[in-house]
Amino acid sequence: MDMLLTEDQLALAETVRDYLAGTHGPEVLRRLDADGNRDPAIWQGLVDMGLTGLLVPEAQGGLGMGLVDAALIAAECGRACLAEPLVDTAFVGVPWLLARGKTDQLSDVAAGRITLPLAHSINPWVADGDGAALTSVDPLRNLCASANDNADPHLLNLGALMSAAQMVGLADAMLHLAVEYAKIRTQFGQPIGAFQAIKHQLATCAVAIEFAKPVVWQAAQALQDGRASTAVHVSHAKVAATDAAMLTAETAIQVHGAMGYTYEVDLHFWMKRSWALAGAWGSRAFHLKRIDDAVLGGTLAIGPEHTFA
Amino acid sequence: MHLQYTSEQDAFRAEVRAWMEAHVPKEPLVTLECREGYDQHVEWERTLASGNWGMVTWPEAYGGRGLDLIQWLIFEEEYFRAGGPNRANQNGIFLLGPTIMEFGTDEQKKRFLTPMAKGEVIWAQAWSEPGAGSDMAAISSKAVRDGDHYVITGQKTWSSRAAFADWGFGMFRTDPESKRHKGLTFILFDLNTPGITRRPIRQLHGDTGFAELFFDEVRVPVENCLAGEGEGWNVAMATAGFERGLMLRSPGRFQATAKRLVDLYRKHEAEASPAAREAVMQAWMSAQAYAYNTYAVAAKIMAGGKIGAEASLNKIFWSELDRSMHRTAMQLLGAHAELKRFDDGSVNQWLEGYIFSLSGPIYAGSNEVQRNITAERMLGLPRVGAG
Repeated sequence: MDMLLTEDQLALAETVRDYLAGTHGPEVLRRLDADGNRDPAIWQGLVDMGLTGLLVPEAQGGLGMGLVDAALIAAECGRACLAEPLVDTAFVGVPWLLARGKTDQLSDVAAGRITLPLAHSINPWVADGDGAALTSVDPLRNLCASANDNADPHLLNLGALMSAAQMVGLADAMLHLAVEYAKIRTQFGQPIGAFQAIKHQLATCAVAIEFAKPVVWQAAQALQDGRASTAVHVSHAKVAATDAAMLTAETAIQVHGAMGYTYEVDLHFWMKRSWALAGAWGSRAFHLKRIDDAVLGGTLAIGPEHTFA
Repeated sequence: MHLQYTSEQDAFRAEVRAWMEAHVPKEPLVTLECREGYDQHVEWERTLASGNWGMVTWPEAYGGRGLDLIQWLIFEEEYFRAGGPNRANQNGIFLLGPTIMEFGTDEQKKRFLTPMAKGEVIWAQAWSEPGAGSDMAAISSKAVRDGDHYVITGQKTWSSRAAFADWGFGMFRTDPESKRHKGLTFILFDLNTPGITRRPIRQLHGDTGFAELFFDEVRVPVENCLAGEGEGWNVAMATAGFERGLMLRSPGRFQATAKRLVDLYRKHEAEASPAAREAVMQAWMSAQAYAYNTYAVAAKIMAGGKIGAEASLNKIFWSELDRSMHRTAMQLLGAHAELKRFDDGSVNQWLEGYIFSLSGPIYAGSNEVQRNITAERMLGLPRVGAG
């Protein structure tokens, strides 16, 4: 029994974090917002880091890593508010194809030659597909209409888990933006971050994020291990991460005051991605229902001796 | 990350389970916060000690089992699964014991730790004073050196277990010229020393869990000082770290409450609101989140890491979770919530638990102080008044 994220996992996540911080700052989000949302140079950078092949087996030219590794990288994609379809293609699509034994496209995915638009009946849209365009509140989502009857639960679990992972990264980033603003914005002769009314709200966000993260990593491991109870753990992760991100978004705009309500301040990109992912791959009601079925419905063993049931 | 227990861990769990099933009292004990209940709880401490289950994380040399933190978590899960009583020796196990191990002399370790482990001596904490609550550095009770003794004068309050316990520990100002964090000394004292008056404080629920302590020229031998004169603040900070950190409230306690809440919901489902149903789900989710986080922190410590501001996040999380679970139970109970005993004569544990849960966000450093610590030390926000 060991819930430790290994030094290798943390080091890889940090490498991706540093790379995205250096190449994918707010100025890039603004440029993409102005000229068409996708940039082959950004995609190529992700390919060159091996991220499109993170979950592709080594035999198909990938790194053959696991869902916990992928969830950690997905969180970094959230932190950077990455617009390219890396998470959908490489962390949702690849493991889904692998689970179905379909390996013929994987070397193309690893090499970055194709992306995998993922249609599922739980979503009325598909990101980066070729149907009629839909407009999202998130200016960097490329959505188009999708009518399909694919209700595969494994695909849904992968999509929900990776949304949750992005959400904890988004929440971290929004908390960071609010903290940095609270340090420099001065009123009544002191930084507003010295006021307890600000501190306590931001500390409450820190608590929500801190306690959402292990839920997400635990769910990733459950999905990786194919535990019978995987659905409830993924739903728990989605609810906890969404609640943390929504709370942090509302707190961050409040801390920014009127500036937070402008298009000029960067915060809105992260808020809008959070709002978009909140309802993607299953609404709060959908996921609560799955938890309800397990916990109240009695299909999951609960109590202190069943922490990892 | 590897989320399967080893066969040794499974065997250990089975061993704890068998012992708890054989020994945990079938009927709940009377509350710890009255004479009768205190005596029952001390008896339970001695029963635990007889099976060597009193201080499982302590090294064997001091009467413990030398368990690692994963084994401790398994022990606690089984303890709460079995409905084990509250621990009379809480102050000793998690606060004073580890502090003596870190700061005590060999003589002090021998003298204090073994009787603590056997449940022979029960300890009270004496941190707060009327003018020093959240602001502990405002302590003014004095200890004046007189030959081989300190002469203590002053007052402590909210001293948990002090109504009935045997010994106490706290900080006293040994340098009369000193201010704030300096000049404080950590002293252990026999609560039956002449000059100490205990005045039990009647709590919200009517019982007397804690007490005021009045010191009138109380003579305490110098060898009862821990880590040297003037070192009190450093010792107390380490102690507060143990308390707020990992071990004060193990996840098993809250997972057990969440499970009881699910059972309560099923009983009252017909008249329950959808909001209550969601609150029950949230209780399970939060108790599980607390457990995952504790396993993760335990793994980090076992790999050589330390906990810092996470201790404050922990304390905020479990104390507010406990209050919210009991609030939900009170809502589900409706008109029965106010009854101290139900129609069948059984004690309304939810009411007792709700009242107790209101103290969680206050004791061991109020949650306002914990949020300040989180904001300043973890998020790096400026201290109040900084410009």
